[in-house]
Parts: sequence; structure tokens; C-alpha cells
Amino acid sequence: MERIYGEGTAAVTALAGVDLDLFAGELIVLLGASGSGKSTLLNQLGGLDSPTSGVLRYRGRDLAGMDESGLTLFRRDAVGFVFQAYNLIPSLTARENVALITEICRDPMAPEEALAMVDLSDRLDHFPAQLSGGEQQRVAIARAIAKRPEVLLCDEPTGALDVHTGITVLEAIERINRELGTLAVIITHNAILADMADRVFTLSDGRIVHARENATRGAVRDLAW
Amino acid sequence: MSMLDRKLRRDLRALSTQALAVALVMACGLAMMIMTRSLILSLSTTRDEYYSGHRFAEVFARLKRAPQSVEAELAAIPGVAHVQTGIAVQVTLDVPGLAEPAVGLINSLPERGEQHLNRLHVRAGRLPEGRTSRGELAVGEAFAEAHGLRPGDTISALLNGAKETFRVSGIVLSPEFVFEAPPGAALPDNRTYGVFWMPYRELATAFQLYGAFNSVALTLAPGTSEGAVIAAVNRLLQPYGGRGAYGRIDHPSHRRLDDEIRILEGLAIAFPLVFLSVAAFMTNSVMSRQIALQREQIAMLKACGFSNRQIGAHYFKFSLGIVAAGVLLGAAGGIVLGGLLVDMYHLFFRFPSLEFRVDYGVLGLAAAVSAGAAFAGVAGAVRRAVRLPPAEAMRPEPPARYRPSLFERLGFARWSGPSLRMAFRNIQRRPVRSALTCLALALATGILIVPNSFRDGIAYVIDFQWDVIQRQTVTLSLVEPGPERALHDFHHLPGVVRAEPFRFVQVELKSGAIARRLLLQGLPAEGTLSRVIDAQSRQLRLPERGIIMSAKLAEVMRIQPGDTVFARVLEGRDREVAIPVVGLAEDFAGTAAYMEFRALNRLMLEGDRISGAHVVVEKARWAEFVAAVKETPRIGGCMIKDALRDGFRKTTAESIGLLQKIYAFFATIVAFGIIYNSARISLSERARELATLRVLGFTRGEVGAVLVGELVILTLVALPLGLVIGSVFAAGIITAVNTETVRLPLVLTPSNYAFAILVVAVASALSAVFAARKLAEIDLVSALKVAD
Repeated sequence: MERIYGEGTAAVTALAGVDLDLFAGELIVLLGASGSGKSTLLNQLGGLDSPTSGVLRYRGRDLAGMDESGLTLFRRDAVGFVFQAYNLIPSLTARENVALITEICRDPMAPEEALAMVDLSDRLDHFPAQLSGGEQQRVAIARAIAKRPEVLLCDEPTGALDVHTGITVLEAIERINRELGTLAVIITHNAILADMADRVFTLSDGRIVHARENATRGAVRDLAW
Repeated sequence: MSMLDRKLRRDLRALSTQALAVALVMACGLAMMIMTRSLILSLSTTRDEYYSGHRFAEVFARLKRAPQSVEAELAAIPGVAHVQTGIAVQVTLDVPGLAEPAVGLINSLPERGEQHLNRLHVRAGRLPEGRTSRGELAVGEAFAEAHGLRPGDTISALLNGAKETFRVSGIVLSPEFVFEAPPGAALPDNRTYGVFWMPYRELATAFQLYGAFNSVALTLAPGTSEGAVIAAVNRLLQPYGGRGAYGRIDHPSHRRLDDEIRILEGLAIAFPLVFLSVAAFMTNSVMSRQIALQREQIAMLKACGFSNRQIGAHYFKFSLGIVAAGVLLGAAGGIVLGGLLVDMYHLFFRFPSLEFRVDYGVLGLAAAVSAGAAFAGVAGAVRRAVRLPPAEAMRPEPPARYRPSLFERLGFARWSGPSLRMAFRNIQRRPVRSALTCLALALATGILIVPNSFRDGIAYVIDFQWDVIQRQTVTLSLVEPGPERALHDFHHLPGVVRAEPFRFVQVELKSGAIARRLLLQGLPAEGTLSRVIDAQSRQLRLPERGIIMSAKLAEVMRIQPGDTVFARVLEGRDREVAIPVVGLAEDFAGTAAYMEFRALNRLMLEGDRISGAHVVVEKARWAEFVAAVKETPRIGGCMIKDALRDGFRKTTAESIGLLQKIYAFFATIVAFGIIYNSARISLSERARELATLRVLGFTRGEVGAVLVGELVILTLVALPLGLVIGSVFAAGIITAVNTETVRLPLVLTPSNYAFAILVVAVASALSAVFAARKLAEIDLVSALKVAD
């Protein structure tokens, strides 16, 4: 698929023909420098944006041709997002931030259960401002996984974190992927993260320039940067 | 409670002062709407219940004298349901404790049985019995209150030249005299004019009218044409000196009450409309800012699968929270103020009981209107927010595009520091927002003008009516019009330095289908005491031929100078003459028409007769003068100018003054609300940028100047605009509330403008101080970290 922003001379090609199959239970790392098109790709995968041309299918459903309300339902039921800036609601506690999402989906886990999976059982009633960066990011992960998503999309989940905190966050993502069989896609410019993936794609100028498959996934706690 | 609602509640709490500012503005508009609509409901339902409960007549007529047998003929007119005939005579009163003579209108009570129509409501004591006792009368409440009269007290009246003393049997109210004012007067003067009731036999005997009547009241059968009945009554009564029958619309008390309701109707729309539009604008600016602040939250919600509808509903609920607070405060304010104001109407209108009734219908309407206003205000912001693709919204807003402002390009930059330059660029970057803020500030200035223009209008009327138009000390009127030589007798009263005659004649003026009954005033061509003044405050000379009328009367009769009106004389010989209209006069109390008094007498075919005289009395000989007037039986009325002016100050002026104070208070709240809100929003928008400047080494003062500078520039532009808007509002509202019986001139004084500017300046200064203090509280580090 292709994604072009703008028209005519002002047109910017963000994705210049990407061909990719992703499978349930996989852990994927998308590598690339800033501007390489990895965020655009993630947005297409998550139904936040639609490709300009090409085909985008999810379990046989055509996402490229779906209207806004169809995409909303797709995101609601199937996709969990983890953002670099956490995007928590500052006026809601950790538990409430998770509950916000579990209220609108079909078969969610209890917010407490989701928070337990990211080791935050003792921080349930803290507001975002009372949590550290890593804790906030783990609340965001709990929020993403509470709906038992089939796809977990993580945009630079460790971008704003130090190594130690980053490891905790990545462990949480890896655990969800392993225990729930969720397809997890992590985009990062940090090549070290490639070791924890089943498959690694490197993007540059809107194309996949390198693909690699790890025979065995490396343990997250062994990562270092 | 859902998590979104929980977020809503906490967001509202965090934004409470701003939400309160908007809610207060909304509440002011709603309070006025509820207050005025409830007053309208109270007055109109009380009136309707009083009218039907006491059988207020629908057609009225006065005549010289008709034998009792004519009553049956009146009853036989097709469409007439009930007829009541009786006697009504004007007498001179001698009231204990009142130096000057007073005028009383004595009405008869039926000889047998109860009144059919215009039944009295007995407030205290009882009705005079008549058959068993003599020398009793019932007194209208307004007059009784003005003199502290109670049942058992006595009062003297001159009945057909003979002075008699009466005992007050009771204090009463009549649906015919809800507004108790002398004929032709727009203002009550309860000290020198009262209404009384006496048994028919006693009154008729004293005036040699026994077996006859001179006043008629009747009701109509359902579906009857009033006009046809009036015409038939006129035909029937003409041989008996009929002075023209009229319907309720020409009934002085009913008309005055109607006009009051019409004034309230004007106020019920005009003010709330302005306030609610301001509130809608404020809701919009608060919500736009709130949504801008929550841009990333909205994106996250969308990414997580919340639909546009859910997100839209969330922000609508947000504004609904503000509306709910506004409606609650507004309803409470409106009900409390309405309850207080309804008491004021006791000064003018006499009902058995005037209870405050809340117009619950309008309460619902008010809630709907303000919810609508808030929704209109918030719809655009919500639409923009949900339209943003979530991926885009997740990224911080791109830096705004700035460029050198017009101000700089014009070359003023040399004299401005960076703070002022930034302020100008900010204004120019968002021209629509800046224009709207400017407009809101202008509205804040404008609405302050309106209530004070009412106050100044009243002051002007007081001066104009009693210094420019009327320069006499006293107006003396004869019981019956008399020969012109009576003027000499007025001259010879002690202390009189000047006397000018007048001739008043009841006429009906007609132009096309529009007719009005009024007193046609015959005055000296260029009198010095009671003068005819035009809109430019110049005295008009009354010509040999032709009529000059109130501009308002000409307006309602659609007449211009040069047109001809038909005047039907309602006393003496029944005549109808065509008179050219030669000029328009400016006056504010009721409507009038003027002619040169000899010309009027020629019209009457009666020779030179006068109804009375306007006189100037030496202060030193006042007591002597009053005593002499009291001893002159031919003098039926004595209106002291200063007493009228005092009465006006105490009643009309005070009531309008109270309304004016309430409105001025509301306008001040609104002005503060708008300005505070503007400061809050620009502080919130600028917090990061200002913190950055602080980090870069700008002093707190320099940074404050950027923020305050913008507000000051917008305020400076808004002030002149606001004065213009306010003047237009004032003109519009005064036109809307001007009626034939009560009018206010549009008076805009420098002090009114100065007050508006002062309030806006003080509000701006306080908001600036507040913003500066908030600025000092900003944590520099955290302001740079998170977009907030």
C-alpha cells in the first residue's frame, strides 16, 4: 500500500509501497529513523488512517475501504494502542483510565487485572501526575490490553524512558504477547529492541529496506542500551 | 457514573471559576427573563381574575343626563349582556391635613341590590348602607392610604356648592380604578385625587339627578362586535348629551395596565437576548480552549475506539453542566427579584391581592434557550475536535504562523518593545478570535449603557416636564368651564403674580380608522407657563388655526404635519370638525393635542370660556393662597407642580430606578465575567510561551506585559465600539418600551459613558492583576514539559 499526504507539488509520500503479512501471536519490531514512515505504517495498521492506494486487510476485512464508523469499531474491538506520550487522562486515576476503555468494549478484563499484569496493583488510585514516567506508560499498556486486543500497537513505548524503566515496560508488552497470543507491533528507532522480536522490519523513505527473522526471541531483561 | 462522566465532573471542577463566570452571565439573562415574564404573568392573571371575579365592564359611556328609562333601551341593544347605569360626579374635597383642595370622583352605588358590574372589593369596613344611614361613603384604597384614612374617619366634600361632611364607611377597590389617576393624567397623584362611592339616592339628590343617570357600563354577549355596540350606544345616548362610548382599550386604567405589561414584554426579550448571546459566545470561547487543551486526549479516545458521537456528547455535556448552573442561578435570582419587584406594583396598581406567580413555562423555555445558546456556542469547537484525524491530533499542534503585525509594518515597531510587538502579533494571528473577544468586550461596555440611560431619561423627563414645559406653581381648574373674566378672579387670589388661562375639552381625534380620546388643550398662543415644546426644545407658537399634537400621538395615528384630523367634541354640542395638523410637540407623559385657546373656543361655538388657569404664586404668600383657593367653591381642582414632581419621583422614578439598579448590577457582572474569561483564556493559551520567555530571562513584568498588553489593546478598540453598541441598544430598548401612556427619551450622558468605561477598566485591571498573579505561580519546569 501507499500513503501520500497532500496533492500536486506539495505531495509528500510517507509510504511508497509496503507489502507485509503479520500473524497472530507474533512480536514485530519496526525500525527506522524519524521520517522513515514507521509511524504512518502503524497508523494504517491501527485504523487511524487509510492508505491512499493499495490493499489493507484484517482477517479478510478490507480496512482500506472502511468508513469512519467502521474504523472506529475496528479500533474499539481489535486494537490496543500504546503511545509514546502515554496520553492518559490527567483527571482520572490509573484504574479509571483503564476503566474508561473497558466500559466500551465487548469482553474486557477487569481494570485491576490489567493493571496487575503490568505490576501496578499498588498504584490503582493514583492520578497520572502522581506516577513516574514508566508507571504512566505501564498504565497506558494496561489500558491497551484490558480489552484483550488482537493487535497491540506500540509507538516508541520506551522513547521517553530510561533503560531500567524501559525494560519493565517492554517486559509487560512481551508478557501480553506471550500470554494472550496478541500480535504486538513495536515501532522504535532503537535497534537494540530488535532482539526481542520474532520478525524485524527496517523502514527508510517509506519502504521496507530490510527484513529479518529471529530464530529465537531474546529475553527482554538481557537488552541494554 | 461512567468514566467519561467522572472525567467531566473533575474537568468542570478544575475549570470552576471560568465555568462560574459563564454561568453567571447566563444566569443574569435568565433571571431577567424569568423575572419579567413572571411579572407579566402575575399582572395579567391577577388582572384577568380580578376583572372576571368583579365583572369589569367592557364598554363605558358618559353623558350629561338621561332618564332611568333609557337603561332598558340600552339593555335592548343587540349584543349587550348586562347594563349598569349610575352617576359619577367630580367634586372638590377638603381633606384633613391637606392644605390644598383635592378632587374626588364620586360614583353611585345602586339603590337596590348589588352592583352588577364593576363590583367593589371591600378592603376594610363596609359599603355605605344608604337606606338606614346617611352621610357615609366608601373611599378608594390609594387615596385612603395617601391620607391615612380609616373607616370611621371623616372627610368633607363640596356637593353642588354645599359643603357636607361624610363618614368613611369602608376602604374599597374597584376593577375600574386599578390605576387611580385623574382623567387625562398619565401619573397617579393619590394625594389630590381620589375615587369614592356613595348610595345613589343621596348622590343623585344632591346633584338633582334623581331618576336619571350620567354614566353607563355594560358587558357584551359572547361573539358580539364591540364596535357595533359602541355605535348603537352612541346613537341612543346622543340626545342625552352622550360623550361617546368607548371600549376597554380606551379605558384609562385598563390602558395603563396594558402598557405596563407591554413595557415588561419589551424588556423580557431585549435584555435576555443580549445577555444570552454573550453567554453563548463565552461558552464557545471556554469550550474551544478546553477542547484545544484536550486535543491529545480526544485523539487517544478516538484511537481507542470512542466514536465521534460519544466524544461530541461528552463536550456537549460539559457545556450542559455550565448551562445547568446558569439556569439554577438564573431561576433562583429571577424568582427572588420578581417577588421583590411585584411589591413595587402596589404603588401604581390596586388589586385585591397581587401575588407573585412564577412563569414555569418560561422557566422551561429559558432552560431550552440557554442550552441552545450553549450548544450553538460549543458545536463548532466540538466539530473541529472530532474532525481531526487521531494520528494528527496525537502530535503536538504545529507552531502557529506569525508574521509582523500591521502595526509594525506601519512603522510603529520602533517605539514598541518586544512585549507589545508580541501582543500585536497575537491579535493579528487569530483575527476572528480577536474580533470576537473585542466584540464581547464591546458588548460588556454596551450593556452597561442601557440601564443608566433609563436613569438619565427619567432625570431628563423630570426636568423637561416640570421645568421646561410647565413653569407654573399651581394649576387651578374650575368646576365647570366659565367665562374668560374668571381669569381676573384668579389674578386677584393672594400671592398670584401671573395667571394664564386654559381651556380643556374632551375630544375624540380620528384619522382613518384610528381614533383616540384625549383632552384637547387650549392654551395662549405663546404662553409662558404651560408651554408647547418641540423635539429641539424650542417653544412652538400655537397658530390661529390648526392643532399641534404629541409626536407619539402622530406616530400611532400615522399623521404628519400638513395632514388633517377629525376632532369630535365629546362635551357640549356634538360636533365633528376637520383640523389641520400644524406641528408636533415633544412630551413624555401620555399624549396630548394643543390649540390656541380662542381657536378652540371658536370650535366649541361657546364664546370665550376657560377651564382654569396656570398660575405662579409668590412663595411668601403660599399659605394665604391655598386657604383662599379652598374657600373658592368654583375652583374644583388644584394641582401643585412640586407635589406632582415628588409623586413622580417616589413612584415611577423609584420603580424604574429599582429596575435600572438591578439591570446595572447584572450588566456589571456580565462585564466582569467577559473580561475575566478573556484573560483566563489568553493566559491558558500563552502559559507555555510565557514560561519559555521567563526561562529565557524575561522578567515577570515583561512577560506580564505581553499578556496584559493584548487585553489592553483589545479593550481600547472595544471601548468606543461598545459605546456605540450601547447607544444603539439603549435606543432600541427605549423604542420598544415606549407606549402612549409612558415614554422615556433617549438620553446619553457623558457620565453614563464614563461609568461604562470605568467598570470595564476596573474589570480589566482586576483581571490583569489576577493573570499576573497566576503567571507568577506557573512552575517554569513543568510548564515546559507538558502541554497544558
